[in-house]
Amino acid sequence: MIEWKERKAYWFHTKWQMAASLVPFLVVMLVLPFYADKLNSNKFLGFPLGYLLVLHGIILIGAVTVAGFINQQDAIDHWHGAHED
Amino acid sequence: MVLMSAARTRVINPRLGIYFGIFTSVLVALALVLMILEQLGVADGTLSVLMLFGSVMLYASIGLFAFTRDPMDYFAAGRRVPAFYTGLGLSMSSIGATGLLALTGALFFAGYDALCLSVGFVAGFVVMAVMVAPFLRKAGMFTLPSYFFNRFESRLMRLVSAAIVAVPMVLILSAEIRAAAFAGSFLLGASVEIMAAGMVFFLVAMLVAGGLRSLVWSGTGASIAALIALLVPVAIVAVFLTNMPVPQLSHGPVLRALGRSETAMAMSRDTADLLTFALAGESFQSVSQRFAMPNGSVGALAFPIVSLTVMAGIAAAPWLLPRITATPSVYETRKSLGWATVLTGIVLMTLASIAVFMRDYLFEIVTAAGRGQIPAWLQDLSAIELARIESTSGALSVSSFSFLRDGVILGLPLAGGMPSVMLYVVMAGIVAAGMAGAGGCVVALGNILAEDVVDGLSSEPAPDHVRLATARVTLILVAAIGGAFAILAPTDPLRLIIWALVLTASSVFPVLILSIWWKRINVYGAMAGMLSGFGVAALFMLVAEAGWLGLDSALAAIFGAPASVAAAMSVTVMTPLPGRDALDLVSDMRIPNGETVLDREMRLQRQRLRQRGGLA
Repeated sequence: MIEWKERKAYWFHTKWQMAASLVPFLVVMLVLPFYADKLNSNKFLGFPLGYLLVLHGIILIGAVTVAGFINQQDAIDHWHGAHED
Repeated sequence: MVLMSAARTRVINPRLGIYFGIFTSVLVALALVLMILEQLGVADGTLSVLMLFGSVMLYASIGLFAFTRDPMDYFAAGRRVPAFYTGLGLSMSSIGATGLLALTGALFFAGYDALCLSVGFVAGFVVMAVMVAPFLRKAGMFTLPSYFFNRFESRLMRLVSAAIVAVPMVLILSAEIRAAAFAGSFLLGASVEIMAAGMVFFLVAMLVAGGLRSLVWSGTGASIAALIALLVPVAIVAVFLTNMPVPQLSHGPVLRALGRSETAMAMSRDTADLLTFALAGESFQSVSQRFAMPNGSVGALAFPIVSLTVMAGIAAAPWLLPRITATPSVYETRKSLGWATVLTGIVLMTLASIAVFMRDYLFEIVTAAGRGQIPAWLQDLSAIELARIESTSGALSVSSFSFLRDGVILGLPLAGGMPSVMLYVVMAGIVAAGMAGAGGCVVALGNILAEDVVDGLSSEPAPDHVRLATARVTLILVAAIGGAFAILAPTDPLRLIIWALVLTASSVFPVLILSIWWKRINVYGAMAGMLSGFGVAALFMLVAEAGWLGLDSALAAIFGAPASVAAAMSVTVMTPLPGRDALDLVSDMRIPNGETVLDREMRLQRQRLRQRGGLA
């Protein structure tokens, strides 16, 4: 069980992890579509690059974001003794 | 591997994989037997009826076998559903029949622009994983209004939030029933209205015995059927067109060829205004927009606004969130959202590849390869009124043909020259996706009515058998209401889904996020935030639908969500601090270890009742 004095540090660490996970993903998600038309003049694997990044790229970044979050948050849980038994 | 690890699981049935392996084999065997019967000359009508009833009876049987008299099983599937199954259910429930039909059609007509919805779906699960789900799992409440009741210690908040979340849930339910009935009507040869009534009957049969437990296991079966129906035909077509059975990654060269054809046909390069949102409606229309060119029908600003709206709507969806309480632990909840993100991504990439392949088949008719000849598949599609051949005189162009948006996905097996049974498999898969999507809504809304409205009004908790009886009655009532809406107020299912996501993003999402991440928010702020967000969004939508704004109602959350945040924060800072119990709940749900909050409350309540009985 997590000790009381650890709770504040744990929540501080968790908040930073949330921001570190979401901010890069949201920035890519919001900025990328504005450049899709320009990127489309390049091709990768036969796909117009703008289309490829907005469809496949965001899905890939989303999956990597969640996987990284699960790993890192689990490490934070263990570090502060907040993990489940 | 993070997603594969299952170190901290509890009381999970180790034979689940075997059971669903057998289920999948039975489903595949059914399709193969029907293909053999087709070759033996059995009538098409018989085959389609067998496909529909064979698969639906399988889901209903699983649901009935999940019968339970235990409230923890009925409302939370015993908290023993592994991460993968929860992720699969979340993924298929969020996309549903409407997503499969309408999103494929929207991609076919608008191409890149329809990706604003796809991006929002994926982002919604990412935000749910990081900001919402682990904390709600630790709280463990069966419904979202129950969580708000405990978090804000207010019975009025419970009723207000129940009333507000009911609106988008009825919209989703109506859309799912209508979309599934549309696909099912081709299998049975009956009208959409009759199919909608049939859907309600089968939904009740599938869910009434075990509530969330029935939904999880029959929904897993339905999700597997929908995935097979989606992935197999397009993989076969991908082999024909690209020599690779991975359409999600191999449709690039086909898209490149489409681009050349679009240039040769001098298709429009016009771009829409910044705030235009004009995705295809459900009526017949022709292809007029380049596939990979951005902002033909969705403006450069409308694209991220709609993506954010869908993201917020999915992340706080009250019809999806009850599923996460069924996982065995907080860690498994996080993993389940990982699976949901991956599976949703695969489905969305597949839908895009179907749209590209269907465009390729269409362009083949009007370019040199097939000039002047209308292929059999298009005539077949026209015969079942999913496409129209507008004109055959003179040189054929893409505007010589129009398609129903929701019929595009059904055209793929015909265009690929597959047996009729493959078309029936796709139709049955869409019905299955509709059962999964509508089922999630029926159970969640039924439980809200039972737990938060009927039982929530009394100060003493009702006995278990009364709670379950109430929940079963409200489940039947909700299914009937959803069916009645689908029949009596027919509306474009994609439009209904977007409205539901707009309302959720504007009212539930801001308050839910603040309730977890800002300890200070109190009941007054939460109530002000929820009501103002809902009110502003609903007003904007009404005005936009009346055509007074020149903007589409899908953009309403851009006003609704900020209004909700502003009201919640300003009212909170002007009113007293939340109570001690509310602050303790927030502290408790932020820490993964320790007993689930609701389970502890139920255990203590049982202890108190036993002590009271002993004293008496």
